[in-house]
Amino acid sequence: MRGFQPHDGGYQAVLEPYEAKILISLGEQLQQLLADGLGGNPAADEALHRVIPNAYRDDEEAAREWRELSRRGLIERKSAFAATMTTGLRAIADGDGPAPLSVTEGEAIDWMRTIGDLRLILADRLGILVDGDEGADDPPEAGDLYRWLAWIQDDLVRALDGGR
Amino acid sequence: MVMRDNGAMTAAPLPALDDQVVVTPQHAAEVPWRTVVWNDPVNLMSYVSWVFRRHFGLDEATAEQRMLQVHNDGRAILAEGNREQMERHVEAMHEYGLWASVERVER
Repeated sequence: MRGFQPHDGGYQAVLEPYEAKILISLGEQLQQLLADGLGGNPAADEALHRVIPNAYRDDEEAAREWRELSRRGLIERKSAFAATMTTGLRAIADGDGPAPLSVTEGEAIDWMRTIGDLRLILADRLGILVDGDEGADDPPEAGDLYRWLAWIQDDLVRALDGGR
Repeated sequence: MVMRDNGAMTAAPLPALDDQVVVTPQHAAEVPWRTVVWNDPVNLMSYVSWVFRRHFGLDEATAEQRMLQVHNDGRAILAEGNREQMERHVEAMHEYGLWASVERVER
């Protein structure tokens, strides 16, 4: 993958088909998890606590009210952010070589949010609980994915900051 | 929070604390609330700082200072105002994947 560069009022990166496939798969898994969480699946609910945390840490009643009012909308928006990423990558995944992906600023932000949520969920699975934890690296691919997603998140921040 | 690479962030003199909390004007009778952002072991420092600039309109130095406060103290106050506004901030932070919560200000 070549990182995001300013392009035509937005940004452009270059991805290999296998990279696009990995990101699509991760994005779809996130969407499934979000849908399961919305459907009340307890396991999904537990997995989502990192991406939709408690909004009132010292007031259970307020926390419950807030969940009732905001949770559905948040889940739907997060799912839409993931869809921005997966939709944009389909043509590259189906191609037979590295290809450019162009995104608007808004789409780049959707990417950042989705990559961030994926890292929060992966971190949970890797057992990363406090600053400095490296994670169990089990399976090893999960650790590699986690670090690759960090690279993409940092790359997007740099691009949106005008390449500083 | 975690750093993307070592040495990317150098120590700089920090501006005074709480000089740029986003304060929303309100009636004196209103009980004020605040938006707190908590440290997490996942999000990159560069990203958190960017979110603070983008969402709260903080200048670079203040965003950096507030980000470091989250990192070092475990939490920082990003805004104060009425409850509805604080809930909107918290919802926005959750959209960005940051751990934020609403708190009543003890006076």
